[in-house]
Amino acid sequence: MLLTLNLNDARPLHEQVAGAIRRAIGEGSYRPGDRLPPARDLAAALGINPNTVLRALRDLRDEGLLEFRRGRGVSVAGRTDGRALLVQRARELLDEAKKYGYSREDLITIVEELT
Amino acid sequence: MRARVAAVAWWLAVAAALLLAPLALRDRLPDPLATHWGSSGSVPDGSSSFTGHLIMTQVLWAGLWLLFFLLGRARDRRAARVTSSACLVAMGVLLLGVDASTLAVNLDAATWREALLPGWHIPAVIAAMVAAGALAAYLSRGAPDEGPAGSGTRPVLGLRPGQRAVWVSRVVNPWLAAATVLTLACAAVMGVLALSGAAPGGFVAGLLPAFVIILVVGLATVAVSVRVGDDLITIGFGPLGWPARRIPLSKVESAWSERRQPGEVGGWGFRGLPGSATIMLRGGECLVLRYRSGGQLTISIDDAERGASLINALIAERVQP
Repeated sequence: MLLTLNLNDARPLHEQVAGAIRRAIGEGSYRPGDRLPPARDLAAALGINPNTVLRALRDLRDEGLLEFRRGRGVSVAGRTDGRALLVQRARELLDEAKKYGYSREDLITIVEELT
Repeated sequence: MRARVAAVAWWLAVAAALLLAPLALRDRLPDPLATHWGSSGSVPDGSSSFTGHLIMTQVLWAGLWLLFFLLGRARDRRAARVTSSACLVAMGVLLLGVDASTLAVNLDAATWREALLPGWHIPAVIAAMVAAGALAAYLSRGAPDEGPAGSGTRPVLGLRPGQRAVWVSRVVNPWLAAATVLTLACAAVMGVLALSGAAPGGFVAGLLPAFVIILVVGLATVAVSVRVGDDLITIGFGPLGWPARRIPLSKVESAWSERRQPGEVGGWGFRGLPGSATIMLRGGECLVLRYRSGGQLTISIDDAERGASLINALIAERVQP
């Protein structure tokens, strides 16, 4: 599982981790029923507290993306919620727009011009 | 080509020596010759006729030579090349040494029963064999193996600045786990039998090391996990990811994914020699790491393509700025 975090992201870490996992599943590296690597491994790779990863995993379970099973670890429950993924991408787009000096309104104008 | 000519020349040279040396000394040798010495001391306990001895050494040498020559047919692979030449040379030296020792002790003996073997002959022959084999292995090492010519695609992930990327993957083989548990159960039953006196007592001493080895190797090969992040590749063995092997990215030249089957690498578990080792838990997708030193490490792991692309991206970004 490939996880990418943005170092300039101001959101809480567990949200960022949840976003990274959602993106990894959305990009098709995991199908429904596949088991995720243990939270301990993910935390060790990211260099963060395992509890932060667990919190992110619980958020994604509440979202319906993951399911927890006793003895079988965490597995992918269903397809990624398209809306959640879109919201996340839009947020990243917004961050990038701000970096180049465009405001939220400018971005909306750009999207409206796309049709 | 040159190596094959050398191998054939070596065969002829050793065969000629094994044939001509006894013939030259024939007048001073007893017939039959003493050819076997017991484990208890220097007194011979077996003999063979002069002609029988000649035929035996020739057949043995031809058979061993053919076996190790065929083993080295894959000359583009360093492991095969080195093993083949080392064994060819070592076996030749072993036969020459054994024959020289046999002739020396039989020389001027009235009958074969008087051919006493001095104690230093066997260690000297073995030392010569090991030294010759090691030298042959060193001389035949050649260039490191080439990467796969056809599938030379090295995926590279697009990393944006200010982004932190890690890759985590893991493979568990439930069959290996079951096999480990089963072997452990058998060992435990045997231990109980030995302790309760139903089986010979000497068993227990031999059982304990086997028990420990099965436990350690079995646990280590049940699962393997790979983590890539920052400038390290961490390979964790066993369900706990410990012991772990850490490879700095600066030692790795590139990575790619390949499909490998246990049959191609010699079975499940840890296979091969350092320099071209494989950690094989299941057939299918494998991550291949190529070291700057020329060696290669293959790990059966899911999602290897993505991991390889991150490794290549990190190498490009950090190691070669």
